[in-house]
Amino acid sequence: MSNETYSSSTRIFKDLLDEIGKVVVGQHEAVEQMMIAILCNSHALVESNPGLAKTLTISTISKALDLKFNRIQCTPDLMPSDITGTYIIEDVGGKKQFRFEPGPVFANIVLADEINRASPKTQSAMLEAMQEKQVTVGNKTYLLDKPFFILATQNPIEMEGTYPLPEAQLDRFLLKILMTYPTFEDENEIVNRYTKNITPAVRSVVSKAEVLELQKLTRDVPIAEDIKIRAIKIVEATRAKSDNIEYGASPRASIGIILAAKARALMKGRNFVSREDIDAMAYPVLRHRVILTFESERKGMTTDQVIADILKNVK
Amino acid sequence: MEDFLNKLQKTRAGFFSRKRLVFFLDLIAIFSILYAIFIIINLEYLLNKLSIPSSIPINIIPPAIAIIIAIITSTLLHKKDKKTNVIRLIENKYPELKERLSTAYDNRDESNIIVDSLKTFVSESMTSVSPSMLLSKGKIISKIMITIIFLAGMAFISLNPQGIQIPQNTLDNVTKTFTGEDQNNTGLIDITGRPENMDNIGAKGSGDIFGKPKIASIEGKNIDLTLYTGDNTGTTVSDYNPTSNQFIKSAAFPVDVVGSNVSDGGYSMLMKKTETEKQLINKYAVERSKI
Repeated sequence: MSNETYSSSTRIFKDLLDEIGKVVVGQHEAVEQMMIAILCNSHALVESNPGLAKTLTISTISKALDLKFNRIQCTPDLMPSDITGTYIIEDVGGKKQFRFEPGPVFANIVLADEINRASPKTQSAMLEAMQEKQVTVGNKTYLLDKPFFILATQNPIEMEGTYPLPEAQLDRFLLKILMTYPTFEDENEIVNRYTKNITPAVRSVVSKAEVLELQKLTRDVPIAEDIKIRAIKIVEATRAKSDNIEYGASPRASIGIILAAKARALMKGRNFVSREDIDAMAYPVLRHRVILTFESERKGMTTDQVIADILKNVK
Repeated sequence: MEDFLNKLQKTRAGFFSRKRLVFFLDLIAIFSILYAIFIIINLEYLLNKLSIPSSIPINIIPPAIAIIIAIITSTLLHKKDKKTNVIRLIENKYPELKERLSTAYDNRDESNIIVDSLKTFVSESMTSVSPSMLLSKGKIISKIMITIIFLAGMAFISLNPQGIQIPQNTLDNVTKTFTGEDQNNTGLIDITGRPENMDNIGAKGSGDIFGKPKIASIEGKNIDLTLYTGDNTGTTVSDYNPTSNQFIKSAAFPVDVVGSNVSDGGYSMLMKKTETEKQLINKYAVERSKI
């Protein structure tokens, strides 16, 4: 199975991107990074302005991957049980008994839309699901189906009435993906596609089993020692005394960069991790783990600029 | 062992044997230059002249010095050779192996479908790798040419030193300057010849009036102190310090004369003489004062 999946992996990724491209115009980098997060068996946080096809992209990916998809619209009154599920009383043959009704978290791909609008209590409920891939309700623990992927979204504007995710929770997301406005040509294509009666459809390209195989293969991608050392040095550089960085990234970031670089290499059809993979993945892995100083924020610097400086200086 | 590891080992061995060849070429070139210089300056004659006590025959010393310096210089020049990363060199020379070879090498003990496919690819690509490609052929050829030229030059100089070698009388003069020997070998130092250290004589001293004066510091030599006309004559004001002339007037010494009981300079004895004797003494003193 592994052999077959590996030999056809290049075709699988090409077909996947082509299929997603039928529905999602542009946003190649965001789509690629979402796929990388899935391959790493981890989670991603998407930050973008409204209307940039976050939900469409992730639902399209789940269709193309033949995975169960659920969406949670986070609001301040959302309760943990609304996510995890709850026990309901049902009548079975005149006898009343509790039955567990699974929440929307019981899916392969979960979109937690505007996660920062949910209360900290509800956000924490998602932590166990994200980290342990299981849910505990009452005194019973339910394992979540594999693969399990949470894509949480945040709106960078309208921060009133929100509960910003704490650093500990942010650290659990492998990548922070930025979705930008489309180019003029892309927007023209979006308008052409979505102002007609025929809406583009997506077919499933791979099976759930193949997705799990690809997740396994991702970890098998070899990496050279010097490239691994470079990844660690990049993360270490965020912790060095600097005028721009208040707090650096945790060792989870080192694991994240290397794992994401492996997934990227696999997606690009390479059987080794390149230095280019490390550099490309340093941005989404570090951008939510690095906290800038007040001075650098005052100067209008972004975390991506600081990461670019680090990449330039680390040999 | 994987195919690529065998090939890598062979390539590494080949590369280092070529590096050794370059080392020897450098060694020979440096030796040739140094030995040629030693022949030109007639080091053997100089060593003989200096009569340095040695148990080694003098004619062996110049080539021995040349080979020692050549070994040290070549070793320093090729100090980093052993640290050369052959994998990096191969990757730079063969772009299809870039990052692949180092990854395959670092994961040589791993085995899974992806690593195996990488190793297979690297093994196939390594067949075209040649150690001669890692060291520029042009560089080696130019080094061989330079070495041959230097070697031939040294051979020519050693076989035909006449006309190239510094004449012995020039060397004699040079050695005399250094040893302070006179042409006639009288054992005297000619002050006009301004031997070594004599320039400092009379120059600004240390100000110490004690101990041996500088002129007497050359031990075991008879010093000719004859001052020739026009040479080092006249006085030189040294250490002139205007403040030293500022005298302070002290109180006058008391003028009262107090006679001593010891001696009055023969005055009392003179007073005891007869008149004739006194006149004779007086006459003697007058005549004496005329001389």
